Amino acid sequence: MNGPLIVQSDKTLLLEVDHERADDCRRAIAPFAELERAPEHIHTYRVTPLGLWNARAAGHDAEQVVDALVEFSRYPVPHALLVDVAETMARYGRLTLSKHPVHGLVLTSTDRPVLEEILRSKKVQPLVGARIDADTVAVHPSERGQIKQTLLKLGWPAEDLAGYVDGEAHAIDLAEDGWALRPYQKQAVEGFWHGGSGVVVLPCGAGKTLVGAGAMAQAKATTLILVTNTVSARQWKHELVKRTSLTEDEIGEYSGTRKEIRPVTIATYQVLTTKRKGIYPHLELFDSRDWGLIVYDEVHLLPAPVFKFTADLQARRRLGLTATLVREDGRESDVFSLIGPKRFDAPWKEIEAQGYIAPADCVEVRVNLTESERLAYATAETEEKYRFCATTATKRKVTEALVRKFAGQQILVIGQYIDQLDELGEHLDAPVIKGETSNAQREKLFDAFRQGEISVLVVSKVANFSIDLPEATVAIQVSGTFGSRQEEAQRLGRVLRPKADGHQAHFYSVVARDTIDQDFAAHRQRFLAEQGYAYRIVDADELMAADDPTP
Amino acid sequence: MGTGERNQEAHVSEGSAATPPRTLAEALRTRGDASLAALLRARPDLLSPVPNDLSQLATRAATRASVVRALERLDRFTLQTAEALAVAPDPAPYEALRALMTGDDGDPAVEAALPGAVATLRDQALLWGADDRLRLVRTARELLAPSPAHPSPTGLGPTVAEATAGMSPGRWQETLAAAGLPPTHDPVSAVTALAALFSDRTRMSALLDTAPPEALMVLERLVWGPPYGEVTPDPAPPVRWLRDRGLLLPTSLRTVVLPREAALHLRAGRAHRVPEPVPPAVVPAHEYSPQVVDSTAAGQAYTALATVEELLKDWNEGGPAVLRSGGLSVRDLKRTATALDMPEHTAAFWVELAYGAGLLASDGEASERYAATPAYDEWLELPPQEQWTRLATAWLHATRTAGLVGSQDAKGRILAALGPDLDRSAAPEVRRRVLALLAGLPEGAAPAPDQVLARLRWERPLRGAGAASGSTSTSASASASASAGTPGDLRSRIALWTLTEAELLGVTGRGALSSHGRALLAAGQGTDAEEATAVARAAALLAPLIPEPLDHVLLQADLTAVAPGPLRRPLADTLDVLADVESKGGATVYRFTPASVRRALDAGRAASDLHAFLAEHSRTPVPQPLSYLIDDVARKHGHLRVGAASAYVRCDDDAMLGEILADKRSQGLGLRRLAPTVLAAQADPAALLEGLRGMGFAPAAESAAGDVLITRAHAYRTPPRTAPAPVPEGPPTPDDTLLSAALRAIRAGDMASTAVRKEAPAAAPSPGELPRTTSAETLATVQAAALTGSAVWIGYVNADGAASQRVIAPVRVEGGFVTAYDHTADEVRTYPLHRITGVAELADSP
Repeated sequence: MNGPLIVQSDKTLLLEVDHERADDCRRAIAPFAELERAPEHIHTYRVTPLGLWNARAAGHDAEQVVDALVEFSRYPVPHALLVDVAETMARYGRLTLSKHPVHGLVLTSTDRPVLEEILRSKKVQPLVGARIDADTVAVHPSERGQIKQTLLKLGWPAEDLAGYVDGEAHAIDLAEDGWALRPYQKQAVEGFWHGGSGVVVLPCGAGKTLVGAGAMAQAKATTLILVTNTVSARQWKHELVKRTSLTEDEIGEYSGTRKEIRPVTIATYQVLTTKRKGIYPHLELFDSRDWGLIVYDEVHLLPAPVFKFTADLQARRRLGLTATLVREDGRESDVFSLIGPKRFDAPWKEIEAQGYIAPADCVEVRVNLTESERLAYATAETEEKYRFCATTATKRKVTEALVRKFAGQQILVIGQYIDQLDELGEHLDAPVIKGETSNAQREKLFDAFRQGEISVLVVSKVANFSIDLPEATVAIQVSGTFGSRQEEAQRLGRVLRPKADGHQAHFYSVVARDTIDQDFAAHRQRFLAEQGYAYRIVDADELMAADDPTP
Repeated sequence: MGTGERNQEAHVSEGSAATPPRTLAEALRTRGDASLAALLRARPDLLSPVPNDLSQLATRAATRASVVRALERLDRFTLQTAEALAVAPDPAPYEALRALMTGDDGDPAVEAALPGAVATLRDQALLWGADDRLRLVRTARELLAPSPAHPSPTGLGPTVAEATAGMSPGRWQETLAAAGLPPTHDPVSAVTALAALFSDRTRMSALLDTAPPEALMVLERLVWGPPYGEVTPDPAPPVRWLRDRGLLLPTSLRTVVLPREAALHLRAGRAHRVPEPVPPAVVPAHEYSPQVVDSTAAGQAYTALATVEELLKDWNEGGPAVLRSGGLSVRDLKRTATALDMPEHTAAFWVELAYGAGLLASDGEASERYAATPAYDEWLELPPQEQWTRLATAWLHATRTAGLVGSQDAKGRILAALGPDLDRSAAPEVRRRVLALLAGLPEGAAPAPDQVLARLRWERPLRGAGAASGSTSTSASASASASAGTPGDLRSRIALWTLTEAELLGVTGRGALSSHGRALLAAGQGTDAEEATAVARAAALLAPLIPEPLDHVLLQADLTAVAPGPLRRPLADTLDVLADVESKGGATVYRFTPASVRRALDAGRAASDLHAFLAEHSRTPVPQPLSYLIDDVARKHGHLRVGAASAYVRCDDDAMLGEILADKRSQGLGLRRLAPTVLAAQADPAALLEGLRGMGFAPAAESAAGDVLITRAHAYRTPPRTAPAPVPEGPPTPDDTLLSAALRAIRAGDMASTAVRKEAPAAAPSPGELPRTTSAETLATVQAAALTGSAVWIGYVNADGAASQRVIAPVRVEGGFVTAYDHTADEVRTYPLHRITGVAELADSP
C-alpha cells in the first residue's frame, strides 16, 4: 500500500513521478489512461470510456486494467470505480462489423439484447439493412463510418473487423542511407500497421512525417496525404523525396494553385473543404484513385467536413498523426470512431529525455501598458480589446531587447496582427512572412533562414504549422490566436527540433499585464506547464534594465 | 431471531404436568418462569400493559393483532408447520402433523426440523397441548385455515364436512351410492363415511382407478390449489363423474371445490408442495483477502466522512429551504448531488445520514432552512474513527430509509429527502439481519445479493412482503401467499439498499463485511455499556486503517498543489481558501487562481503570510509562477478602496480613476469624481465592488474608520437540535428486570384470581348496585352472549363518570368494543369494554 498512484473519485489518476515504481506504473496505465497533465512532480492521467476502449482495441482486458490500478494504488481503489471500468470495457466488442461472404458488410452481436437496443434507436435504423439472423444485421456498406460514429455515441462502440482494400499497389521503400527510423518511430509504424487504422500521437519535432513515410513503405500502395496548408504540403513532398524511393514525379500536389493527382498525392484541408454553390467540388479526389492508405496530418485540426468524407472511406487504411488528441472543439470521439483508436503515443518529456527533441526554457514577459494605453484599453470595444493590448508599443521595445540579447542566434518572432508584425519587421530590419507573401517567396525566405543568411524572421500565423526551421533557437511570441492551446504547442514545437550544437532553446511570450492578453496567455501556458514545460515570469522592466545597452 | 432460539424447556415443563391442560391459560400456567420470560421476550406486545394474570395473558396472546404479529415473525418452515396444523384436525396428534409435513413417503430433513418448529410455535404460545393433542391457538387457526375468501398457502380446500354442510339428503344418497358406500340417512355418518373413504389410501386408489382419464386431469389441475373450479350447470362427463362421487363438491351454483381429504390423498398426504425445512444457504460468491476488504472499507469510510463534511460545508452559508410539506426540494437535492458529483439517490443517502446522526437539521426560523447543528461542530472535533462510528451507529439504528427518496407514496406524492414518511419500522431489523448474514460468512467473503434476499424471505416470509408502502399491514397479510417476496417488495429493497449503503459507508468492502463492521454489529444487542464497548472496538479496529493526515503538499508549476493524502485540518482549511479544489479522492488537487489568491487576501492574509505558508507546507520548492501570482494579485489587492457609509472609490492614482470613469462598464455604478483621487458612487458598495472587479480591478472594501473590511466565510448553525429518534415498531424488547417484575406481577394476579376461596355468600347484587366482574369474565360473558344472541345485564360508566345499568344483546365483540342492541335505549350502540364494570346473565331471557 505504498504505490505511486492515487485514484481520484473523478477518475483521474495521479502519478507521483519521483516514486521508485513510477516507471512501471506509467507503463501499466498508459494503455488505458490519457495523460492529461505532466508537470514536474505529479502527472495526471484520466480514465475515459474512449481511453478504455482504446485499450480494448489494443488487446488489453478489464482484468489488466483493474490489476494495474489495484497494484499501484496507494489508497484502496473505490469498488464502484473498478466495477465501472469493467463494465465500460465490456461494452466494446459486443458489436462487430465484419465482411459476410453473402451479405457483404454485417453487424454481429455477441449479446442479443444490445443488438435489440441499438436497432431500436432511430439513428441506427436508416443505416442498417435486413436482419439476417437473431445476432446479425446487414449494414449498408456506404454507412460503415456513420454506424461506427452513431454506435459510439450510443455507448456501444463497434469493433471494425471488416478489413481494408489493398488499393492500387505502388512500390515505396524507405531510403535509409545514413539515417534510420528511431526506435519509437518504428514502434509507432508497427502499432499502426498491426491495428489497421488509427492515430499516432507524437510531440512536435519528433518526426511524424517519418512515421507517415514508414507507414507508406509498409502499405506499398498509392497514398493520399492530407495536410493543413501548402507550405506543409511542400515540406512533406521534400521529405518524402529525400527519405523514400519516391521521385518528384510520383508525388502530386493538390492545392489551391496546383491540381495534380499522382500515385502519392498531397492535398490540403483547405482545398478539400472549399465549397462552391453548396457542393464540395474537390471531393472526387477521394475516388480519383484506388487509394491504399490515407494519411491525416495534424488530426486535431481536421475540419468537420473532412470527418464527413472520412466516414465514407472506412474501407481504406487511415493513419492519423498528431501532437495531441485534445481538440478545442471536443470532437475526440469522431477521431476515435472514424480514423481509429490511438495506436501509439509517447509523452514529450520522454522523447526529450532520449535526446530527440531539444529542451526549452519558457519565459513569460509581462509588460505594462502606458497610462494613455490603459485609458484607451478601458474604453475599447470588447472585440477590439485583445488586439489593443496585444499590440501595445511596449511589446515592441521588449522584443527589440530580446533580439539584441540573443543576437547571432536564429530568432523567430511570431504574431497574430499584420500591422504589428510589419512594424516589428521594420524596427528589427527583418523580413516578414504573412498571408499575402507568395509561396515562392516564403520558401525562399525559409531557405535563407535555414542557411543562416537571415537570423531574424517575423512570421504571422501562416507559419504556425508544419514548416521546418531546424536552426531556430529562440521564438518570441508577441500575440496569438486568443487562448488556443494547440497553437502554443505548435509554436513551442518550432524551437524544439534538436539543435546541431545541442544548445538550449528559448521560448518567450510577451504579454500585457492586467489585460485579457494575460488571461489568454495563462490559458495557453497552462497547457505548456501541464506538458512539463515549467515557465518563468519576468517583468519587462527587469528585462530591459538587465539588457539596456545604453545605461 | 430465527429458528435458532428455540426453547426446549417449555416442552419439558409441559410433559411434567399431571393433567393435560384444557385451555391456553392452563398451559401457560404449567410453564416455568424462564419459559414465560421467553414468550414475553418473543412477543413484547403482550407486556404493554402488564397483564393482571395468566388468563389475561392468554386472552391477549390470542387476540388477532397479537397473533398476526407473532405469525409475521415466524420463519418459513415454522409457518408451514402452523399452516399444516391449521388444516389438520383440532386437536391433532404430533404424528398427524408429521404425516402432513412429510407426506406418505417421509422426508428425513423435515422430520429432523419439525420438533424444533413445534417447539417454536409452543414457545410463542401459538400452539399448546401435549404432543398427542396439539392445538393451534384459535385465532391463528382462523387466520391460516383455508376459507373461500382467503385461500390457504397450502392450496387445500375445505374438509368434506365443511363443504357438504347443508347438502340435501337426496344428494347425499346419490353421492354415497356413486362412491360405493352404504346408504345412510344421517348426514353426520355420511360425512364420516365419505371422509374415511377419501382418507383411505387403498380404497381411494381403487376408486380413482375407475375414473376416466380426463377426470384425473381435472383433479391434477386442482390438487395443488387453488382447489376451486368453475363449472357450467351442465358439466362435461369427467367433471360430472367427479361431482357424482363427491370428489368435487359444489360451493355455489357455478363453482366446485376439491375437498381437503381428497386433495391430501392425491398429494400423498403432504400439506405443502415443497416443505422448506432448511434455510437457503448464503455462500461466498467472491472471496477477497480480509486485508483488501478492510482497507477498501476503511478507504470508503474515510470518503464517507469527507463527503458528509463537504455536504455540510456546502450548506455553511445557509442550506436549502425546507419545503412547506417538509423535506428538501427535488431541485435542491439535484443541486447538492451536482455539487458532490454523485447521483441523486446517493446524495439523498448522505443527506439522510447526516440528518439521522443529528448533524443537520432545520433551523426553525420563519423562513426555514437546513443547516448544520452545533453537534456537527462537536463531531468535527472527533478523531476520524469516532466520527465514523457516530455515522455508522446512527445508520444501523435508523428507521428512516433514504432509498425511498424519489419514489411515490400511496397517494402519488414524491417522497422528499429529509421529508416526512420516510420511516420504515422494518428497516433496522432487515439491515441488521443482512449484516448478520454477511457476518456469518468467513472473513473476506462476499455473498451474491440474490442469496441474501432468498434467505430473508425464508426467515420472515410474511413480514415486509406486503405492499411497497411498507406500513406493516396487520390486516390480511397473515393469509397472504407465503411464497410472495419478489425483489420489488419493501424488505428486499431495504436489503438491497443496505448492501449499497454499507458499501458507501465503509461497513463492507467489496461486498464483504469488514472487521470494523463486524465489531460494530455486536453493538446494539446488549446494554448501553456493551454497545459502547463494541463501538469503541470498531473505532479501534478502524483507526489504524485510516490514512494519517499529512502536513505537506506538492506545489507544481502549472499552479496546482497536490495533497497526496488527507490533510491536517488547519492546513486543509487554509488551502480551501487559498485555492480551488479541482479533484478529490485519495488525494486532493488544488488549483491557484488569481480569484482564489484574492479570496485569501480578502480573508485577511498578507502576501508574506501566504509565501511563508506555502514554503512551510510544500515538499518541493515553491514554483516561480506561483510566487509571482501571489505578488501580482497582492500588488493590486487593496489598491482601490471602497467605502460603505456612502459608497465611494478612492485611489492615489488619479489616472486609474480616470480609467474607471472612462470605462463604459462603470456607467451602471453612477460614478462621479469627487477629488482627483476619490470617486463617489450611487450604487451600494457591494454592487460597486462587483462592478469594479468585473472591470478587472481588485478593490478592497473599507469601513467608516478607513480600515479594510474583511470578508471571511462563516458557518451558519441551527439552534441545538436532537437527532431524530428511530421509530421502532411495537414496544421495545423488555429487559430482564422488567421481565421478572412483570412475571412476578402476573403470577401474583394469577394467584389471586385462581386461589380457592371460601365461597362468600354471594350477596345478590342489590338493585341499583352495578354488577362487578373481572375484565376477563366480562369479556368471556359478552362473547358468549354474542355467540348465543342472548341479552345480558351490564353496569356501565359513561365518559362523564356517570354509572348506569343497561340490558344489551351483544352482536359483535372486537377491538375492545362491544356492539350491541341496547334494550334500555332501544337502539344499536357500541360500548368500550373497559367502561363496563361488570356483567351478569339475565335470569330469564326475554
